[in-house]
Amino acid sequence: MTDLTYAQIDQTVLNTLERPRPRYWILVALLLGGVLLGAGAWAYQIFVGIGVGGQNIPVAWGTYLINFVFWVGIAHSGTLISAILHLFRAGWRNPIARAAETMTVFAVCCAGLFPFIHLGRVWQVYYMLPLPNQRLLWPNFLSPLMFDVVAISTYLTVSSLFWYTGLLPDLAVVRDRSSGVRHRIFRVLSLGWTGAHHQWLNYGRGYLFFAALATPLVISVHSVVSWDFALAIVPGWHTTIFAPYFVAGAIHSGLAMVLTLMIPLRRIFRYEAIITLNVLENVAKTMILTGLIVGLAYGTEYFIAWYSHNAVEWESFRWRAMGEYAYGLYFMVICNVLLPSLFLVRAVRRSIPWLFALSLVVNFGMWWERFVIIVGGVAHDFAPHSWGLYAPRLVEYCIMVGSFSLFFFLFLLFCKHLPSVSMTEIKETVNHAR
Amino acid sequence: MPAETCIMGLFKDEGKAVKAILELPAAGFSLRRAHSPIPSHKIMDALKLKKSRTGWFTLAGGIVGFFTGFALAIFTAVQWNLIVSGKPIVSLIPFFIVGFEFTILFSVFGNVIGLLVCARLPDYRGLEAYDPRCSGGHFGLLAACEAGREGELMDFFQKKGGEVKVFA
Repeated sequence: MTDLTYAQIDQTVLNTLERPRPRYWILVALLLGGVLLGAGAWAYQIFVGIGVGGQNIPVAWGTYLINFVFWVGIAHSGTLISAILHLFRAGWRNPIARAAETMTVFAVCCAGLFPFIHLGRVWQVYYMLPLPNQRLLWPNFLSPLMFDVVAISTYLTVSSLFWYTGLLPDLAVVRDRSSGVRHRIFRVLSLGWTGAHHQWLNYGRGYLFFAALATPLVISVHSVVSWDFALAIVPGWHTTIFAPYFVAGAIHSGLAMVLTLMIPLRRIFRYEAIITLNVLENVAKTMILTGLIVGLAYGTEYFIAWYSHNAVEWESFRWRAMGEYAYGLYFMVICNVLLPSLFLVRAVRRSIPWLFALSLVVNFGMWWERFVIIVGGVAHDFAPHSWGLYAPRLVEYCIMVGSFSLFFFLFLLFCKHLPSVSMTEIKETVNHAR
Repeated sequence: MPAETCIMGLFKDEGKAVKAILELPAAGFSLRRAHSPIPSHKIMDALKLKKSRTGWFTLAGGIVGFFTGFALAIFTAVQWNLIVSGKPIVSLIPFFIVGFEFTILFSVFGNVIGLLVCARLPDYRGLEAYDPRCSGGHFGLLAACEAGREGELMDFFQKKGGEVKVFA
């Protein structure tokens, strides 16, 4: 990468913004179809009632909350890569930082939809806002669900602003090399950025503060999400390990999604000279660490359930391994801990097919981890008479398809309309290396 | 006051641009702006710039956010004066989470405002004396000279290894 010239960097990235081929639009149309399917299913649910889904007592939080936690988790690695690794001056994150940040914004958008969907009577969503009304009803800020409202809306706002700020110099590059309508749009979007010394001085400082603020925020957000569960007294949920466990899991799943997105992006847009194999290998190395932390958390949960001599807790965990949803536990252990440990082998870390396959495996496993936690806890809690099973219904499957389609639909639009790699940061890396 | 002309020297090499910045005052010209495709520490050092004041906006935002978050949580709890789960009406530990999130949110708002104010953005008029190559691979130095000294300034930039662009 360091032998690239500034012009080559610009050209490589700007080539990705050329008029797309028909198959791109076919893919966009297919994903839009998925989005419409999900939207239609949601509309049907609003019209008929929340009962059209499979969630019911005791499992009141089904796939809607699983997908919520899944998407919030996916969002986290974007901030890890763009903010935390920026603070650590890890130069290898530069080629993938933009796409990872974008992934964060879109994933939080997808996550943010699920509380609305799960609400059923979505028109009453304003109850979550601190608005004065005639009954003097206010949100209860003692509730972890209200922590969630504050944390997720803060996260969406901060990550969107962080993403846009990072884009500014690159928007100017596109403006300076385009004409017609595109030039006019990018002229407005780039806010008149000229790369003048006073702009860089304040930009550098502002970006550093963004990174410094996003770092504790990202840790707090998934901790808050974990407290949705940990502050309840349900066995399998009521544990102090949840915050670090969720944060590590979130980063693990997010890094897997980064690989899932970057590998095709690198091939389709011919980014091989910029997103080098070393970059992907470093993501895989980080996943070894996060996978081990997640594995430690799985083990600690079992150890504490046994060591505490709490009969209810131990029964919950025994059932988790031997009950109706035992396959979920095995999926999560195999996919999130055992298979990613293959990354310890250098040849696996440097093999594109292996990297891609294992990223999909971890995505799958992390979804099941959330299933095991969210459904498993309440399906088999204190009293046997209240035990019950849950299976998603067609409406929930359609909404899930809709959310995945929405994520990839937005990402696909982004890739062809905005620079998917930060030209400025790559130039900076090249400049430092010389 | 004599009319001034702005002339930009465009350098492909960062080192040459830095050298030109250092020698420009001695030649009797004043530098208006230095444009670069990347944040250049060498240029920053040559210009002897003061530290950015963006951080003060960030800090102010954070302080406002911290108290706003706590105040909102306390105000709403006091309005609905019911003990929930045996916790006090004003429970500082859970309210700290609201205070923390608001601190971050308002700090970021302050940071964005500070960035826009200090970097003087949006600045569409700045594009009038700007060369698009500065966002690619060139370092552009915009200097002003009195009427009649345009030739001298152009010679200066050319001797330093730059191309010249004149703005009316």
